[in-house]
Amino acid sequence: MANQDFIVTAPPHIKGKDMVSTGMRDVAVALVPLVAVSLGFFRLYALVNLVACVATAITCEYVMRKLMRKEPTIGDFSAVVTGLLLALILPPTVPFWWAMIGTIIAVAIVKELMGGLGVNLFNPALFGFVSLIILSQLFGPIKETISLGSINGVTSATPLTFIKGGALNGLRPGYWSLFLGHAGGALGEASVLAVLVGAAYLMYKGHITWHIPTSIIGTVFVLSAILGENPLYMILAGGVMIGSFFMATDWVTSPDSRLAQVIYGVIIGVLIVVIRLYAAPTGAVAYSILIGNALTPLLNRLFVRKKFGEVKAVA
Amino acid sequence: MELKTFRGGIHPPYQKEATAHRATEDISLPSEVVIPMQQHVGAPNNPVVNVGDRVEAGQKIGSSEAFISAPVHASVSGTVRAVEGRPNFTGAMVQSVVIEVDPSQPAKWGDKKDVGNLGAEQLREIAKESGLVGLGGAAFPTFVKLSPPADKPIDTVIINGCECEPFLTCDHRLMLERAEDLISGLKLMMLAVGAGRGIIGVETNKMDAADVLTAKLGGDSSIGVVPLEVKYPEGAEKMLIDAVTGRRVPPGKLPSEVGVLVQNVQTAVALYDAASTGKPVIERVITVTGLGIKEPKNVLVKVGTPIGHVIDQCSGFAGTPGKVIMGGPMTGWAQKDLSAAVVKGTSGILVLTEDEVEYGAERQCVGCDKCINVCPVFLMPNFIVKHTKRGQYDKANVYGAQDCFECGCCAYVCPSRISHVAYVRKAKAEIAAAEKK
Repeated sequence: MANQDFIVTAPPHIKGKDMVSTGMRDVAVALVPLVAVSLGFFRLYALVNLVACVATAITCEYVMRKLMRKEPTIGDFSAVVTGLLLALILPPTVPFWWAMIGTIIAVAIVKELMGGLGVNLFNPALFGFVSLIILSQLFGPIKETISLGSINGVTSATPLTFIKGGALNGLRPGYWSLFLGHAGGALGEASVLAVLVGAAYLMYKGHITWHIPTSIIGTVFVLSAILGENPLYMILAGGVMIGSFFMATDWVTSPDSRLAQVIYGVIIGVLIVVIRLYAAPTGAVAYSILIGNALTPLLNRLFVRKKFGEVKAVA
Repeated sequence: MELKTFRGGIHPPYQKEATAHRATEDISLPSEVVIPMQQHVGAPNNPVVNVGDRVEAGQKIGSSEAFISAPVHASVSGTVRAVEGRPNFTGAMVQSVVIEVDPSQPAKWGDKKDVGNLGAEQLREIAKESGLVGLGGAAFPTFVKLSPPADKPIDTVIINGCECEPFLTCDHRLMLERAEDLISGLKLMMLAVGAGRGIIGVETNKMDAADVLTAKLGGDSSIGVVPLEVKYPEGAEKMLIDAVTGRRVPPGKLPSEVGVLVQNVQTAVALYDAASTGKPVIERVITVTGLGIKEPKNVLVKVGTPIGHVIDQCSGFAGTPGKVIMGGPMTGWAQKDLSAAVVKGTSGILVLTEDEVEYGAERQCVGCDKCINVCPVFLMPNFIVKHTKRGQYDKANVYGAQDCFECGCCAYVCPSRISHVAYVRKAKAEIAAAEKK
């Protein structure tokens, strides 16, 4: 037998099927129900923004990595996911070129300039979204377009306007229409059911766990009730659902131990209620999760998992 | 009823079908054996034979005065051709005795003696003199484990019949083929440590073995066969104890802390052999398998047999081998060539084909937490890697570098293909080096 040389690496010598690309692809698949519902409600408005964001994200990632002389990573699907998510959290009335600016900020600055997927501190899509809100405040004319205006026959006002506007309460959508499907607000806010179907798929695939979404939604529900708001309306309307299941659970920007994840969820939940009720309803979920992202390194340091068999030291 | 198990772990493809139903075979003797003076955890042996000496199978050829050590014996009769450093299965140079085999002198042992009159002290002496070590792979000297400290009484001896490593079936075969001897070995161990209860933990993919053992036990109420969920690493000492007894061994502590002794199937059988016939540990059953092996088998192999000879006895390679692994796929050692020899702790030889070892390149951690969720001892492997990469070994240890027993679940599930075990080993080595200063 020839004395040939074989491959030598540390164990294990077999590996599971999950790769970053399969995980991200699963996220994209999980967004299909939501994409379908938003296309159903908003038609061309949704299609244009979805295509613009995804195409921009892919192109932008490719160009950035070329410029930075790094290996291309298009195959990992993360640009597709960022593009989809950003399009889904924008209202359909946002012009496509405006959505593209948000995507460029998300991919070029928040992801690639920070070092690429895995090193980014903030959720790229959310950061892109918040950047658009801030930019729209700075540039007056755009403010009108990006705000919560409606297009006749296509959208009605965002359900969030009813949270603070007591006089309009009679016009607000019912729970069932919020849950099943409702043409108001952003694309991804159109149907809670579609979010839940996608989230169930991600949990089944083992990519996310219940810890973060449940603690956010639970906190929003309980705190709203305590503050005298309608708790059910608070969790069904706006971005709480898509934010909790698809944004706050982002692998990179969420904490890693179970305890830290629950605390992270509670902090985000409190922030959502406080910002919505006492500051601005629009973007409250996005601001809250981004603040949570910023706290993630601290939470990871503070809450180290208790080891197997470890007993609490008696003080 | 829900099966007993532990928290965390993984379900890799088990791949045991190729050999699970193949009875153990003897293979031919090689022309020479290479017997390392260290095959165990503890102090190395000094060779007690010289070049040119004639040795008999079973003769002691290496011993040590140190407490934690295990002597080694000639596995064949023949002539000592060299006493020199040879690379062992980890690639380290280890002083070894090379014996040219004389096939005309097969090993002979006395008839089985009754073991009923042996006492605890005698059993420890037998375990020590026969060079018995943990044959599941850890290779910790057995007599040390059979000598628990007086302040930590042992009430339960658990036989690890999980064989949770994919591909391997040698323990499965032993449970089927030598059920009675296994039970006798377990009784000897219970006697040695004064334990009143014996448990054989068997994963449910080996229920044929569990049934045979239950039948052989008859009405013996001191010993039970406990079926366990098929999950890796069910057979890891701490996981097995947790699954079977619900007791958790604290970090850095031994099973005696919770009154338990765990031994592998083959170790129990070997103790019975040594006690009943005086046969030292000179051979063992290993599984030779994988898509890269033409004729996968369970074989009885003399310690010191070069792995190339064992593979030849299984009709050689099928296709182009990518990796030749000593042990199982999760914890085994990849070999750079075929020169290393089978030692006491070798449980198998696994040959993976070229296509099977294309894993994809390591990339930046994406914080998916999968490694954390599967870690059976609740560590945070991604943070161990992160800090080890930065040279912050004390921080790596905060997340459990030294508590890791290198089961490899984290690296198995990692979507970024990070080799956590390699980083953990680096951190452990650096921490040990820093402590020496």
